[in-house]
Amino acid sequence: MPSVTFDHVTKRFNDVTIVEDFNLQVADGELLVLVGGSGSGKSTILRLVAGLEAVTSGTIRLGDTDITERAPRDRDVAMVFQDYALYPHLSVRENLSLGLRIRRVPKEEVSRRVAWAVDMLGLTELLDRKPKQLSGGQRQRVAMGRAMVREPSAFLFDEPLSNLDAGLRAQMRMEIGALQRRLHTTTIYVTHDQVEAMTLGDRIVVLSSGRVQQIGKPIDLYRAPANRFVAGFIGSPPMNFIEGALEHADEMTWFVSDGMRIALAGVSAAGLTRREVTLGIRPDDLRMTFPSSGTAVEDGSIRGRVELVERLGGSSHMHVHAGSLHILAVVTALELPAVDDVIDLLILPQRVHVFAPDGQAIAIQG
Amino acid sequence: MRRAGRVALYLALALAALTFIYPFLWMASSTLKPPGEVGTLALIPDHATFQNYRIMWGRAPFGRALLNSVFVATSVTVAVLILGSITAYAMARLTFPGRHALNLATTAVLLVPGQLTLIPLYTLVVQLGWIDSYSALIIPYLFNATAILMLRQFFLQIPQSLVDSARMDGMSELRILFSIFWPLARPPLAIVAIFTFMGSWNEVLWPLLVVRDQRIMTLPQLLTVFALGGGAGTLGVSLAAAMVLVVPVVIAYMFLQRFFIESMAGAGVKG
Repeated sequence: MPSVTFDHVTKRFNDVTIVEDFNLQVADGELLVLVGGSGSGKSTILRLVAGLEAVTSGTIRLGDTDITERAPRDRDVAMVFQDYALYPHLSVRENLSLGLRIRRVPKEEVSRRVAWAVDMLGLTELLDRKPKQLSGGQRQRVAMGRAMVREPSAFLFDEPLSNLDAGLRAQMRMEIGALQRRLHTTTIYVTHDQVEAMTLGDRIVVLSSGRVQQIGKPIDLYRAPANRFVAGFIGSPPMNFIEGALEHADEMTWFVSDGMRIALAGVSAAGLTRREVTLGIRPDDLRMTFPSSGTAVEDGSIRGRVELVERLGGSSHMHVHAGSLHILAVVTALELPAVDDVIDLLILPQRVHVFAPDGQAIAIQG
Repeated sequence: MRRAGRVALYLALALAALTFIYPFLWMASSTLKPPGEVGTLALIPDHATFQNYRIMWGRAPFGRALLNSVFVATSVTVAVLILGSITAYAMARLTFPGRHALNLATTAVLLVPGQLTLIPLYTLVVQLGWIDSYSALIIPYLFNATAILMLRQFFLQIPQSLVDSARMDGMSELRILFSIFWPLARPPLAIVAIFTFMGSWNEVLWPLLVVRDQRIMTLPQLLTVFALGGGAGTLGVSLAAAMVLVVPVVIAYMFLQRFFIESMAGAGVKG
């Protein structure tokens, strides 16, 4: 299976830049996830690969072949659409075979491929049904089958699970992952759901306003986000951000904010006077303690009042008000505070992230 | 009580239906009555006869006019469906310079009353030497702005992903139109077909202007000439001619009414 290469790809509609200087190589057999909010350009990138939109500048290659100017039907890529895009008036069998018949694939070969796909996807019983008579999950499988029978060089998935309910989404997510590993077809998968991105992707590309924010393995994006946008986008529930400043005192570098300070071991303090920064801390990296009355809050902790406790069973989301801050903590303790109780949240110093005012991460060694 | 209410309702509905259907049935039965009976209100003729039809057929070339009408109306309908949907598809789904202007121009055509264009169109047809030919009856009607706009509106509602998917499956734009859009657009296509067919079938004024040769005349035209010229003689013969005019439209309607009702109902839901 060939790779997909983007070389300085830019897309503009009139004066609006949708994708700006996009460079990437999707490796042979890799499942690459493009993730971002609406308007980030992720779907446009997919449509550029499909040939449904024309690039403004740059080239797209499939293996060694430049496909930038080719018509969609000559690109050897297959796409699974968000709304499945099954032909409503055709049966499942006809939906699966139409693309092959148009390409004049011999009849026996069409039957063989359709049988292979329906067998793999468990659609055998449904071959003569119309899309209207199928459930959401079944339609999703037919849409995947239609892409599979083409035996393309690359799969393109455009938010394929966003029309399914939560339970089915989790199941189909696993099926897509298993199928892709089995077929080993180079795949670009677009989603706005960071859980899909984290669980499916060999690598993730985080996009915002048509620009790449970070490219990396899911766990690297989680552990070391390159900037504040990625930090807030990857991880659920999202990271807490605390505005404050870096200060140098007692031979150490401190992050100081309203009613709290924390020592940062790895940040170089040389020549530092005072610098505005944002501290990021994931909700899972806070530990809850009940302060004894009358004691002052310790360094590295935030004292606040409990606003709301959402019990999820295994863990709980605790919303805490601390001065002007609103902090979310995920705690697994069995003994939970009541609303309006005062608690301390201990920040694990090796887990914090520091971002400069321009949003870029400042390296610290935990 | 509920049963009585239901009976009353059905009676009222039956009565209403009767007021619509009675004149038509009366006309149909009167064509079978001998001259002396035509004045009565009875629906069953005492002495049924095809005399009126025989007289009518003998006095003017109605058979030929019927064929002319079928030919003209069918040609116009088929052309409007094919050319109209190709135009509508381009306006709805393709990007090209002047698309917006084309939309506006098509809408503007609807605002111009037909009477205004009648004389210029007549002059044009004379210049082209189409007087007394089928061309004069068919070609001016090949494009229909209402049909184009109606189909365009429907085509706009078909999800873009279907078009994308078909393009990736390797279909040409014409193939997408005829093998994806047409099957999905059957109700609006049926409406356009019915309106176009009936409009063409019932057209009298234009044929009167451009056709004087009896062999080219359409049925309503010949009928008008026949009735106004006093050729019919009796009411029974006039009604027989009217019957010949109506029956093909009724048949066409029965054939297409499923789509017609479907589409009207759909139009209500989609707003």
